[in-house]
Amino acid sequence: MSVSTRLAVLSLTIAIGAIAAYAFLLGVPIVRNHPEGYVVAFAAATALAVVAVVRARSRRWPAWIALAISSLLLVGGGWFNFVAARVPDTPTALRVGERAPDFTLPDASGRSVSLADYRGKKPVVIVFYRGYW
Amino acid sequence: MAELQGLGAQLSEAERAGVEIVAVSPDSNEHSQKVAEGLRLNYRFLADRDLTVARRYGLVHLRGGPDGQDVPRPATIVVDRDGFVRWFSVSRNFQVRPDPDDVLRVVRSL
Repeated sequence: MSVSTRLAVLSLTIAIGAIAAYAFLLGVPIVRNHPEGYVVAFAAATALAVVAVVRARSRRWPAWIALAISSLLLVGGGWFNFVAARVPDTPTALRVGERAPDFTLPDASGRSVSLADYRGKKPVVIVFYRGYW
Repeated sequence: MAELQGLGAQLSEAERAGVEIVAVSPDSNEHSQKVAEGLRLNYRFLADRDLTVARRYGLVHLRGGPDGQDVPRPATIVVDRDGFVRWFSVSRNFQVRPDPDDVLRVVRSL
């Protein structure tokens, strides 16, 4: 195998490995909370693919395939992480030391649950999330 | 799916600390129930269909959803027994969640 082809294989391994690692290790806070990590991996894969293309002598297609895939992932991943996943930092109604606004909402069995139900009983962790889509 | 895995990781640890954890989202109850069963989680899912509560908390990301709809900003809030906010974290990137250890540290200090 030529040096170029080896670099192309390494590039693809890093790019696909980054996706797999991120997906499998999503439960690990340090991985989940550093999504820029996959963008860095795609950038490294793209750099390797560029070197592979430059060094290609006879069989050029592995290097070009690696470059196409890694650069697409770099652009797509960079856009997703730095643009699409951004949440504007608008002011919230939350102040440490102030009373949490009360609410009453139906739970999964249709029963009404109020934040006030827990007062004097136990602490509550409220997790707002975007939904399952 | 990704965010619920993160949520699950957070909750399984927090549950051991003996607190009530409520997950608020615009999902329908039936949908949340299915998700809960699928992930074998036994915490409270509350349906905030029209984002009334998210709005009250100032946690609405306008047109932030995949179809341009308003969605909640991912946030985690620790409320003590007296109903006071003791700690909170609001995500600036919806892939990112607070470290469960940080949440637990606050809960254990209450």
